[in-house]
Amino acid sequence: MMVQPRNLASRVWVARIFMILFLCLIMFPFLMIISVSFRSGNFATGSLIPDTPSLEHWYLAFGLPWENSDGTITDPPFPVLLWLWNSIKVAFISTTIILLLSTTGAYAFARLKFRFKEHMLTAMMILQMFPAVLALVAIYSLFDKLGDYVPWLGLDHLGAVTVAYLGGLALHIWLIKGYFETIDNSLEEAAAIDGATPWQAFRYVLLPLSVPILAVVFILAFIATVAEYPVASVLLQSMDNLTLAVGSRQYLNPQNYLWGDFAAAAVLSGLPISVIFLFCQRWIVGGLTAGGVKG
Amino acid sequence: MAEVKLVNVSKSYDQAATWVLKNINLNIAEGEFAAFIGPSGCGKSTLLRMVCGLEEITSGELFIGGEKVNDWPPNERGVGMVFQSYALYPHMTVAENMAFGLKLAKADKSTIDARVQEAASILQLEPLLERRPKAMSGGQRQRVAIGRSIVQQPRVFLFDEPLSNLDVALRVQMRQELSRLHRKLQTTSVYVTHDQVEAMTLADQIVVLSPLQKGADSNLEQVGKPLELYHRPANLFVAGFIGSPKMNFFDGTLEEAGEELSRVKLGSGEIIQAYVNTASIKKGDAVVLGVRPQDVIAETNSDNVVTGKVVALERLGAESYIYMQHDCIREHFTVRVEDCHQRDEGSAINIEFPAELCHLFNAQGVAFERTRVPEFD
Repeated sequence: MMVQPRNLASRVWVARIFMILFLCLIMFPFLMIISVSFRSGNFATGSLIPDTPSLEHWYLAFGLPWENSDGTITDPPFPVLLWLWNSIKVAFISTTIILLLSTTGAYAFARLKFRFKEHMLTAMMILQMFPAVLALVAIYSLFDKLGDYVPWLGLDHLGAVTVAYLGGLALHIWLIKGYFETIDNSLEEAAAIDGATPWQAFRYVLLPLSVPILAVVFILAFIATVAEYPVASVLLQSMDNLTLAVGSRQYLNPQNYLWGDFAAAAVLSGLPISVIFLFCQRWIVGGLTAGGVKG
Repeated sequence: MAEVKLVNVSKSYDQAATWVLKNINLNIAEGEFAAFIGPSGCGKSTLLRMVCGLEEITSGELFIGGEKVNDWPPNERGVGMVFQSYALYPHMTVAENMAFGLKLAKADKSTIDARVQEAASILQLEPLLERRPKAMSGGQRQRVAIGRSIVQQPRVFLFDEPLSNLDVALRVQMRQELSRLHRKLQTTSVYVTHDQVEAMTLADQIVVLSPLQKGADSNLEQVGKPLELYHRPANLFVAGFIGSPKMNFFDGTLEEAGEELSRVKLGSGEIIQAYVNTASIKKGDAVVLGVRPQDVIAETNSDNVVTGKVVALERLGAESYIYMQHDCIREHFTVRVEDCHQRDEGSAINIEFPAELCHLFNAQGVAFERTRVPEFD
């Protein structure tokens, strides 16, 4: 083991304390949301441990009527589970398509030779810097027009949101391309000599070795689509078609802030992301390509 | 098995503006082991990659087994390649690595198992079949890479510097294994190396390539059996490249032409006799005299001597190398002696050039025919 400076122990403690403080800072809003969702009534402020714990917001979020202490029944104001399901559908389909397109696109940029390759890469990078919010008007009129010909791609259809989310490919192409370029080309050449077509070399050699980056891209794209607000808020209108991110906004009317219900819905929206993350985590491992080629 | 034939094969990466390889003509007979050798940048790996189809052939024709294969993709050419970097599939076991090609070809399972077992037994890989590449040593990985191409039963084996990533002891061992393998399988093989010992010991035929000179119409320097290249180098490049330490060269002029014995006058005035046929040139023409460090005799008073000054001495136990200074040398003047006596720096020593061991080249670097070459088969 390397020789360590004498005051190492104290430095380690300083680092630990700093990290614990930092963690508290990060965790506080999250814990606050959870606390609010278990608190009776709709109050944003209050102690972290609810004084009067209650499951009313969770009942309503799951679409169950809640019987108040005075015997009156509160019906769930919004179809939260349906919104959640919409979010999962949109996120899952668009993320899968994003993964398919960006993987094949990255392969082309990493391995094939074609004209204007460098220009296209730069153009993608620059276009990505243009915020999607500024294009909202364009997106709105595009899908408005598109709906005249392809109804399920029109306004107020989940299909439109799914397709709109595919626009964020460029970043993922760059990410995957960078990973592909770290994998030695001779592996695919060996596969070609073994009789593989370029597609087979891609499918059986390059892809299995790229699983970690594919998992990362899947998670990133999934989080981005679940949490996306501006585009969905413009394209979706009717109550039953909203995604959870847009729908949660319904709780916050200027006259009536339903903080408790909002908090329950917000925690719920973190659920699919957590599940996807836990599911993908086992593929994010290093050293997959070790031993293939002599460095 | 098949013969490989190259006709005027050339390679350019920039639409014929500059050439990497030019007019390579070559016949590799069925079952023969050919080695491409040359300094780095001479295009030997590129040539190999053109044979297997990983690089396009800019012009010229390539035949494998009598068929023109210029436009065939690698998998249809029936070649097996062993890469310098091994290029094993890291996510597959040894058995899966070797079976990959057969699986793609949809061979049935019994055939695959039989061929993998056979290759594994030839290469002593049986205990490793379930291992992943990262759990193996360099030599084992290279054996798997060789096994992967054996399993395919290719018509031609291609080796791209397969031993250069191994340490010295392993390299010697793998060299012998490759030699044994070729005797057993008798498959036509092409082997790229920059190590002349590998080429000399493994190959039936050596192909010497040089970096393409400006204006030259080919960078194929000489093709021949290992000892033929050593004893009858066709030109200065081959003479200097084959043999270690490198041959010594001296500038001079022809003093007396002859069909069997010629006399050369070095720039320093010393006259050296050489058994070479110089009937094609006349007295006074510029020539280059070549003699190998191990062919000269140091510290004699006989004829055919030059006198040089000792610059440095390396005593290795069984032998010593004396580095000398002389007025007419190109690059260096090295003498090998079989003793370890101390010789003082700056002292003058007579070196005899045995006339039958001298090489002579014209001003363009082309060798004159030697008339008394030692016996070799």
